[in-house]
Formats: sequence, C-alpha cells, structure tokens
Amino acid sequence: MMSALQVLAIGFGLAGYYALVAVGFALIFATLRIFHIAHGTVFLMAGYVFFFLYRVGGLDVVSSGVLSVIVAALTGLAIDKAVYLPVMRRGGGLFSVFIASLGVALIFEAVFLVFTKGIVTVARTTALGIVSVGPVAFRLLDIFILGVVIVVYGLLYLWLHCTRRGLEVRGLTDNRALAAVVGMNVDQTRNVIFLLASALAGIAGVLTAYDTGLAPDTGSRTLFIAVVAVILGGVQNILLGSIVGSVSLGILTAYAGFFFPEWVTFSVFAMMIILILIRPRGLFG
Amino acid sequence: MDHIFFLGTLMCVWVMVCLAANFVIGYTGMMAMGQAVYLGVGAYASATLNIYLGVNYFAAMALAAVVTGAVAVLTLLPLLRLSGFYFALATLGLNFVFFDLFHNLGPRVEGSEGLYGLELPAALGSPHAQIVTGLLITIACVLAANRLVGGAFGRALRATRDRPDALIALGKNPVHYQIVIWGVSGALTGLAGALYAATLFYIDPTLFTLNASILVLVYVGVGGLASNAGSVLGAVLLIAFTESFRYLGLPSVLAGPIQQGLYGALLVGLMLFRRQGLVGNHDFQE
Repeated sequence: MMSALQVLAIGFGLAGYYALVAVGFALIFATLRIFHIAHGTVFLMAGYVFFFLYRVGGLDVVSSGVLSVIVAALTGLAIDKAVYLPVMRRGGGLFSVFIASLGVALIFEAVFLVFTKGIVTVARTTALGIVSVGPVAFRLLDIFILGVVIVVYGLLYLWLHCTRRGLEVRGLTDNRALAAVVGMNVDQTRNVIFLLASALAGIAGVLTAYDTGLAPDTGSRTLFIAVVAVILGGVQNILLGSIVGSVSLGILTAYAGFFFPEWVTFSVFAMMIILILIRPRGLFG
Repeated sequence: MDHIFFLGTLMCVWVMVCLAANFVIGYTGMMAMGQAVYLGVGAYASATLNIYLGVNYFAAMALAAVVTGAVAVLTLLPLLRLSGFYFALATLGLNFVFFDLFHNLGPRVEGSEGLYGLELPAALGSPHAQIVTGLLITIACVLAANRLVGGAFGRALRATRDRPDALIALGKNPVHYQIVIWGVSGALTGLAGALYAATLFYIDPTLFTLNASILVLVYVGVGGLASNAGSVLGAVLLIAFTESFRYLGLPSVLAGPIQQGLYGALLVGLMLFRRQGLVGNHDFQE
C-alpha cells in the first residue's frame, strides 16, 4: 500500500530530473531569447552516448558519465553554431528560431529512432538500493540526484552572483542591448551559456539512461515538462523559478500518475495554460 | 490504383487543413500550433454523430464543421489575452490537453483504441467515389478561401496582422476579426476532419497529436504563408514526395523516421534560407 507520503517522495525524485533540464532551458531562454526545444535532444544524446559507452563499450560508470556530459555540452554548442546563430544572423526572430529548433529536434529524434527502433534502453543491470524511513522508502539514486541538484544550483548561484561572467549573464537577462553596449563579449558568454546548460541537460540524460531508460521520445517529453516548470516558476528568475516550478511539477506528476494515470499530460498542460492566463510572467517573473 | 485515389483524398484533407491554418497563421498572424486539435474534434464529432445517432454522413460533416468552429472559438476566447509567443505556447499545450480528452473521454468501439463502423453514403463509399467528392469539396473550399481573403475582409485580416492600430483608427476592432477568422478556420479544419474520418474508416487519438500540428506547420511553411496557393502546393508536394518513398522499396521501419527527419530538415532549411516558403506573401514574424 502506497501512502501519500511515499508518492511525495517519488515526486521529489522526479523533480530532480526536471530541475536539471529546466535550469539550462531557463538560462538559455532568459538570456538569449532562444526557445531551445532541441534541449531535449541534447539530454537524449547524453543518455544514448552513456548507454553506448557503459553497456556496450564496458567503460566504468564515472568516466562514461563524464564523457557523455562532455558530448552533450558540445552537441548543444554545435546546434547553436550551426542553426540558431545563422537563423538569427539572417534576421530570424524568436519564432523562427523556435521552428528551426523544432526541426533540429525532429531530425535527431528520427536518427535515434532508426538506431533504437523505439525500444527503451536501460543502462543499469542491477537493482537500485533503497533506504526505508518509517513507512516511506527512498531510492538511493533519488537521494543522489537531489544531492546533485543542490550542488548544481548552489554552484550556479555562486557563479551568477560572484563572478564577472555571471554578472554578464545576469546583465543579458535584464537588457541585452545595454549589455553589449557596455562592452561585454556577448558571443563568448553565449558559448559559455550553451556549454553549461547542455552539460546540465547531459547530467539529467545520463541519470535517466541509468535509472528508467530512454526511448526516442523521452527527450521531448522531459523537455516539455521542464518548459512548463520554467513558465510556471517565471523565466526571468532563473534559479528560483526553475526549482520551484520543477518541484511543483514533480509532485503534481507523481500524484496525478498515482491517482489518475490517464490524466498526467492533461494536468500538466492544463496547469500551464491556466497559469499563462493568470500570470504570464510566472510565479517569480 | 485504389491506393492512388486514397492518397488523393488524403491530399484533399490536408489541403483543407492548410488553407484553414494559413488563414490564422499567414493572413492574420496568429501563431496557431494546435490545428490537430480541431481536426480531431471534427473527425470525432462526425464519426460519433454517424455511428451512434445514425445521422447521414454529409449532414454529419456539416454539423462537425459547425461544432468544431464553436469549439475553436471557445478555446480561443481565454487565450486572446496572450500575445505572440505565449499564445503560440498555449495553443501548443492544447494538443496535449485534447489528446488526453480524446483518449479518455472520446467514444471508442469495444476492444479497440478508436472508433470505426461509419455508415457512408455511396458518394463516399469507395476510394474512387471519395476522391471525386473530396476534390469537389476541396475546390469549393479553395474558391471560397480566395473570395474570403481577396475582399475587404481579407484586407482587414492583413491589417489585424500588420497594423492593428490603423484598424482601430478606422473604428474597427481587430479582436473581432481574430475571433471570426479563428472560428472559420476551426470550421474548415473540422470539415477536413470529417472527410479524414471517412477516408481512413478508423480514427483514434494518436492521429491528432502535436505531430499532426507540426505536419501542418511544415506544409504551410513550405508552401508559403498568407497564400492559398501556398497551402495547396505545400500539402500536395510534400505528401506526393514522402509517399513516393513507398515506391522506392525502402523498408517500412525506415520510412517513418526518414519522413520525420526530412520534415525536420525542411523546417531548419526554411528558417535559414526562405522564411516565406515557396510562394508566400509573408514570413514568420519576429
């Protein structure tokens, strides 16, 4: 018998994944005004590379993980260089870049579909450890993920508020034109943002590949929930918005999945539409 | 030969959907990303009326158009407050909301995911009758669409897109035009949905997902925004092109992904090199 508390614990586990994808998405959207649908592709890329290195190649967990995250970071940067930057140079705006991004996501999903035939691939071969506290069972992996999230958000906070580059990123969030006028190197900051955000999505991708496994549509599904989390929390407030949005959606999807499994997507997107209507700028926008 | 007729009728369906989508996206500048929702409403409405209430299929098609137009307006009204990008996002979210609605509340034949068993009149009963009827309906729609956007109403739509302030200065309300054209677009998509159900004989919720909405976006984008000729060209050319794969002897496991990858590449290519599409009169704003 699952208690309400147990479902809550599952919700926090889900929130960890959403938070890692959401913060990168928010970072890119808030600073560069790019609605990066292909962020889900980057997530998937890391997961599949990890599966390949770890399960097929027989590398150990840590080095396969690190290599996959590096591949993810480079994939994200490459997508920006090859698609977004040229579209923007040719006068494309928010919506054009969004459609181009959708195109990139479709291309990668098709490639993954050819190679995996749509079958779910799970990287781990052993059962996950569990610790029980009273009636509630926690998966050790979830606790690990929450630890990763806390470290990542902590470091991001320090980076944004205590370094010069972080100051530039916050400057971009507030006013792009002004940031360029006062002499910051927008192009270089842009590269850093894409590398960093994609690496974070990569971490989530590796963990998902290890935990529940990947299918070619896992990337877009995770990304859409992360997008809703970001909109929910508010785009302008990158860290607080992403974490609050992710935790609320993690809990919502866990409870909806437990009590009304048929209505999970409905509840997520109905919530998004209602929230856009009430507060288009999000809770902390 | 029957397969060719079947493809022809499918082209008619998508031409109608693209005309409808282009009304709102191209002519009026409303970023609609949920056209599949209205296609599904039309298909489900006509199939339900026909199977459960025994309504003649042509009457059911007309009723489906009316119902879908009404549903379209009802879903639009709350979204009107949103501008530009958030409007696009909300319509995109509608795809997911309606998928669960179709899936959980839509009627289904016992033991299957979807709905079948339409009672079709002779004029829709066989592939060659279907293509004749489909073509007649589509030609009527194209002519009506040309009249609609060619006259004063069409000019008002383009003004809603480009210069809403000028429209207001003339004492006209841009929101009024947005609601009317959204309803017209929904009704036309609903009619296409009814024809779609008759063509396929079987409908289920997986036909009406975000993927179908993206398909419409690709067809309209390739053909060209704010151009009825573009709507026709985009749908006909792309369906003909991707269906020709079947005759190249590609294994069917590859056909789906190749089509998807190709559409992705087309979207990227369009945004890079030709945002107005083949014969468009406008490009994606912003």
